[in-house]
Amino acid sequence: MAFDIDKYTTNSTAVAWDDLDFDEFDRNPLPASTLRSLVYMCNVEYHTVCYLRDLLTTPSHKEPEVGAFMTMWNREEFWHGEALAAVLAKHGITVDYDELKANRIKLGWKDRLDPIKQSLLGGLVGMDFVAVHMAWGAANEWSANAAYLRMAEQENHPVLGELLKRIAKQETRHVAFYASQARDRLAASKKARVIARFALRKFWGPVGSTISSAEEVTHVMGRLFGGEEGRKLIRDVDSHIAKLPGMEGLTIIETSLDDRGIPADGPGAHERELISA
Amino acid sequence: MHPSTVPFAGGFARTRKGSHLMTSRSPHFESSAEFVAEEIAFEPPLTDGRSLEDGAFDVREFARTAHGSHRGELDLEQVAESGLSVDAVRLLRLLRDLERSTMQRMRNLLVTATHKDARVTAFLSTWAFEKFWLADALDAVLEATGDDLDSSAPAGGLRRAAAERKERRGPVMRAIQGNIDGPQIVAAHVATGLVDEWITQAAYRRLGELATGLHSIIELINGIKDRHIAFLAEEAKRRLAASAKARRLAVRELKNMVWPVGAVEHSDDDRTFFDRTVFGTPGGRAEVSRIQGLVAALPGLASIAPTISARLIP
Repeated sequence: MAFDIDKYTTNSTAVAWDDLDFDEFDRNPLPASTLRSLVYMCNVEYHTVCYLRDLLTTPSHKEPEVGAFMTMWNREEFWHGEALAAVLAKHGITVDYDELKANRIKLGWKDRLDPIKQSLLGGLVGMDFVAVHMAWGAANEWSANAAYLRMAEQENHPVLGELLKRIAKQETRHVAFYASQARDRLAASKKARVIARFALRKFWGPVGSTISSAEEVTHVMGRLFGGEEGRKLIRDVDSHIAKLPGMEGLTIIETSLDDRGIPADGPGAHERELISA
Repeated sequence: MHPSTVPFAGGFARTRKGSHLMTSRSPHFESSAEFVAEEIAFEPPLTDGRSLEDGAFDVREFARTAHGSHRGELDLEQVAESGLSVDAVRLLRLLRDLERSTMQRMRNLLVTATHKDARVTAFLSTWAFEKFWLADALDAVLEATGDDLDSSAPAGGLRRAAAERKERRGPVMRAIQGNIDGPQIVAAHVATGLVDEWITQAAYRRLGELATGLHSIIELINGIKDRHIAFLAEEAKRRLAASAKARRLAVRELKNMVWPVGAVEHSDDDRTFFDRTVFGTPGGRAEVSRIQGLVAALPGLASIAPTISARLIP
């Protein structure tokens, strides 16, 4: 089904948390390892504007529907960052503009060269490069959605759970946009399918892996997707990606977990923490 | 990020309160963390001497109170009754397209060091959102008057002036230049944005003269732009006042800019129409003088003010 951009823009709002009782975090604070994952996720959300930059190096934003989506998506993700920052603030962890700026500065030359690399690739590949971005975005949004829902389930915290479900609901709409764009564009061009498949297979990494240390990526992925239950979820996400035209048989997320030594069976890191507690 | 502990929890030494004077970067940093800390502390104060923390434009509040769709609050009855002149429709469509070209502008800003400044990017994310809905409000006017959303006339060719070639650069050249310019380019970007908002506010006032039924809608639009101007003016003033390099880069950007921002993508015909309609009347010339005065009052930009106004006058 085609994505209804008018409906999406009309309903696009900043995720709300004013109505949630954040004092619950004083009575029932989150454990340190959860906060560590939340910091990672918060950083990723705030970093969306930098992903937007890479998307904008392709000519796709001149299409009204894509430009409209990017405007709303970028703002919604910014507000996901604000919401998670508010949770962290209740635990004495400050994420403010200075820290975000510091993190962006620390990315150094790679970050400075990225837009040039992206633009040159875009120039070489042409319009089909848009399809690569869309397939990539779909994989990212699918896994982000799974991560939020998984964390909500694991923590079983009344306030955090509700907030994460609200965020995940917005991510579902992002998935719908990226997937429908990717489907159409991949279906229309063999070159797009070949390049997108190559790019996902060779270069895709978990969301946030380009801006966080390997240790943090392994912590978050292990906690959310380690063990039998987590792996089941990830196989489900991989199966969605594999349904995109030309992506049959891809298991990019499962492979990225294997590469990081995250166990595929038994209890996950989170369950093990619960058992030992 | 901090590898083995909760990132951000430790964070960097925040010395901003004590560092009100912008100094050139000290050459003897011992670690990259120290270098980053210094870049963070490298925030010039407001021009009235207050620190950013004590009195700056509240970006979080701006983001929190952003204005979305205006469709429920537009007074369209009067304009639907009186209709719009051909010139009013054309100017309205042009302004709508300019409001809608934020992603192009975002790209040009984000491929430079401006994307690292989280306070500026938070502003830009909200600014783009508000402009999206301003464009939608202008669409609602055209729908109410029964005018076509888009012109059926062919757009005509672009203006091919050699001086404008720089403004047509793609992201690669912009990113390379951005890497050479470094963080002081932010000053040039906020100054350019500021001048652009002054110009488009003048264009909306002119639209109000061409279509009196639009009075309340134009007031609403220019009210939203007032907040954008408040942020951009404050940022431009403090950054320009603090650094000679910032002033130099701002002069360079302002000299090359095609006004209003985004117009470079429009046909020569449309741009000539815009300049003639908005600035070609005695009232338009008064607007140009006003803008020239405002630019000249910004730190270090007096020399470029006449160049900007000369380019606005048809």
